[in-house]
Amino acid sequence: MEKILDKKHLDGWIAALAEWDVLGPVLEDGIWSYQTASGAVRLDHPNTKQSPKELAFPQREIFFKFEQIKGEPPKLTQVVPDAQRHVAFGVRPCDGRGVPRMDLVFNDHVEDNYYQARRKNVAYVGLACNKPPSPNCFCLSVGGSPVSTEGLDVQMTDLGDRYFVKAITETGKGLMTAAGKLFAEPSAADQKQVKQVHADAVAYPQRAIRNPDGVPAKLKASFKSPLWEELAQSCIGCGICTFLCPTCHCFDINDEVQSKAPLKGQRVRTWDNCQFPDFTMHSSGHNPRENTGARLRQRVAHKFQYFPENFGMPQCTGCGRCVSECPVGIDIVTVVNKVVENAG
Amino acid sequence: MINIQDIRDTARDMLAKGEVRAVIGYRRGSRGMLAEPAFITDPEQANELVWDPTCFHNLSLYLVHDRKFLAHIRKNPNAPVAIVAKGCDARSIVVLLQEHYFKREDVYIIGVSCEGTGVVDERKLAPHLNGFQASNAAFDGDDFVFTTAEGEKRLPAREVMADRCLECRIPFPKEHNAVFGEDKTGRQLEAPFAALTRFEAQEAGARWDFWSHHFDRCIRCFACRSVCPMCYCDECVVDSITFPVTHETTAEEKANRIRWIERSATRSENITYLMTRAMHLAGRCTDCSECERACPVNIPLRLLNNKMEREAREQFGFEPGASIGGQSLVASFLDKDPGDFIR
Amino acid sequence: MPDNIYLPKLARVAHIKDEVYGERAIKTFRVEPVDGEFFEHECGQCAMLSIFGRGESMISIASSPLIKEYKQFSIMRVGGVSSAFHELAVGDVIGIRGPFGNSFPIDDWRGKNLYFIGGGCGLAPIWPLITTAVAQRANFKNITVFYGGRTSRDIMYRAELEKLRETVDVHLSIDKAEEGWDGYCGFVPAAVMDKDPVPDNSIAVTCGPPIMIKFVIQNLNKLGFADEQIYTTIENKMKCGLGKCGRCNVGKDYVCVKGPVYSWEELKNLPEEY
Repeated sequence: MEKILDKKHLDGWIAALAEWDVLGPVLEDGIWSYQTASGAVRLDHPNTKQSPKELAFPQREIFFKFEQIKGEPPKLTQVVPDAQRHVAFGVRPCDGRGVPRMDLVFNDHVEDNYYQARRKNVAYVGLACNKPPSPNCFCLSVGGSPVSTEGLDVQMTDLGDRYFVKAITETGKGLMTAAGKLFAEPSAADQKQVKQVHADAVAYPQRAIRNPDGVPAKLKASFKSPLWEELAQSCIGCGICTFLCPTCHCFDINDEVQSKAPLKGQRVRTWDNCQFPDFTMHSSGHNPRENTGARLRQRVAHKFQYFPENFGMPQCTGCGRCVSECPVGIDIVTVVNKVVENAG
Repeated sequence: MINIQDIRDTARDMLAKGEVRAVIGYRRGSRGMLAEPAFITDPEQANELVWDPTCFHNLSLYLVHDRKFLAHIRKNPNAPVAIVAKGCDARSIVVLLQEHYFKREDVYIIGVSCEGTGVVDERKLAPHLNGFQASNAAFDGDDFVFTTAEGEKRLPAREVMADRCLECRIPFPKEHNAVFGEDKTGRQLEAPFAALTRFEAQEAGARWDFWSHHFDRCIRCFACRSVCPMCYCDECVVDSITFPVTHETTAEEKANRIRWIERSATRSENITYLMTRAMHLAGRCTDCSECERACPVNIPLRLLNNKMEREAREQFGFEPGASIGGQSLVASFLDKDPGDFIR
Repeated sequence: MPDNIYLPKLARVAHIKDEVYGERAIKTFRVEPVDGEFFEHECGQCAMLSIFGRGESMISIASSPLIKEYKQFSIMRVGGVSSAFHELAVGDVIGIRGPFGNSFPIDDWRGKNLYFIGGGCGLAPIWPLITTAVAQRANFKNITVFYGGRTSRDIMYRAELEKLRETVDVHLSIDKAEEGWDGYCGFVPAAVMDKDPVPDNSIAVTCGPPIMIKFVIQNLNKLGFADEQIYTTIENKMKCGLGKCGRCNVGKDYVCVKGPVYSWEELKNLPEEY
């Protein structure tokens, strides 16, 4: 389904999605974030600071509550995510491509009930990037494109005073049908224009990983390279790169206790980060990844070697957040290029 | 005006003569105009050093890393490390020296004066560049000059300077082994604590709403803690991610460790984290504002630290990092210290 | 949500035995389901055990899959959760999720000589394998168990090992000579060399401290054991047990799913991040 939506009808479309919690990019405190739309939605954002991964994988998820009176067995009450449907507008293609990568992790081997319960209630309305919204974009190097529809339910393309809107999934069709009257049929000129806009977008220069296909093998050969230590020398071990990443999924599970007697508390999942020093530390104090070099290598190799080995694609969508936001300039594009180059 | 070649020559000479084992400075990064920390051990690499308005990092953090690394491998430094330090950074080093974190002879301070200016605040700069990304930034008197695809963009520094630089009282590294640039101490771009004063003019209710809003936004990436040279504790009481476990740590010690805050990024935990950190920086924070710059969600952390700094100044006449021989704020008692808060 | 993968089943502690005392104390816990039945497991698999309010810990199942009524776990007191286990009393209720991970391919080993080489608490992960092999004695040729502790007081499963002597060869060792010890004195890798195991038609399974495993494998190689004849188990910090939380990986493998059992042939090709 391909339609034209006059920009002045965007709010009408959103208003028609009454069953959905509609999120749009909002600029507040100097950063863009997805927030529940109240009033007009503008889609003139570059990209949001945080990816929309939290819609299906929130930073904090309560699994169950436990209660225990001394001498009695504990009572467990599972907590189920609410069934509210969410649709995010203005999702950039890189973040769209993050979704199927998260799906792979959470559905592989066994299905993660919590992820799945949320995921099935989320829809992604994408916005093609007519030109790269960040100077650190590199989607073309990781199999993506500024006009990719992967992971999206609807793709919108900005044609100046109107959007070219294309349904990608059945859910997407449903979203468009909800406000059918607002959409017009695209003319031959519209079709021609969208083709041109997409072609220009793909042709726009981006930062690049050189010879991306050869990266997994080169990384494998570079496991013991002293370069990792050197490249990670300035790393401060914070969580910015992974927390902002659309595909990083590592988490911790902890018991949070509200009362000791009677015992009351909950078991909670929270985002975690492979760059934190204790991420892999055993109880004994032994740490398989003891220094920042080993931890940087893990982040890069997970995305560009291990994930491709397991799932046949990089676990990076080239959004450039980790590059732009690293407080000390650790740049995954440069890191991959240097390690690959050094591997000969 | 500082000629970067002078700094490079100094670094090269010291490395070549073996007077220092490394020079920690700034070099051009690979993402746009921004400088990044450089660790130079080969004299030939000294030419990579840069000095421009994007040299915002407080590199004294890496002296802390170095000290920890040496402790880990149980070695003593065989020669000092040289470090490029602005006024605020040099005061951080002084605080670390006051706290005996390392010895004066273990560090060679290459001071750089923030002459008429300071460093740029990327958030203030962005609207001036029309969506273009600068590939270079340079000092030019009271201006910053940025190179973009559209050509050169000259801006009065004070329009895009970081607040901390606008309010800086001592933009000159008094403690140094070598120093570059003129001492412009006494320049007044904005009154000290100007941003804090503006903030505190609000009603208590408005201030609480402000902080509640910001505390809720913290994602607990710990960047503010991790980028701070003062946050060197092996075990951080407000953060569950650092707990020094060695093979000798007993099961009791591990089991009895108190988890002061949970990992959940909820308001109560975030407040405990951020407020405790601010308290622990009282009299130690030299207003380098790296925490605020690093924060990915723009929490105005500098206001918290400034509040502590101003209290220390007004109550105790205390200036963090003023001199190595000086006492630290919380480890000293003077008869004239005010006692009116004791009831 | 049915089949919530993070919701533990309840299990009651039916029996507790002190194996080793002191700073690195080990206790063995026998747990029974509070209601219904337990999951079935295979030799080498693990379970996530909970003490509510303290947390979860991945522990290898130390009882044979042939035993359906209970499961047994030997836990060394190392950190927070394991210390909480050491405070438990009979009758207390814990949480259990599992089984997790792969298992030893014991069915492929029919007709072979089996060598089990354990050190310290590394006897627990291979104990189900030993007891299952002994229960199916006729399926295998010679079965030999090497096991060593730092001192005689660090030998776990002492009574069970003595009983094992009735059916298979058991060689116990301690690091340094002690009065009244008539077994081997020295490290486990040397104890193995002392008895000269034959590589022909044999499988060797080793588990223990990493340094022990390293030298046991070196020695087995010297004796002519091929890499695919040597099996071991590895451990890493784990949270989910399901290949999602992302912290136990060694290269592309999540140890909680692809491990903990590896042949040396497989393991030597993985990065040494365990």
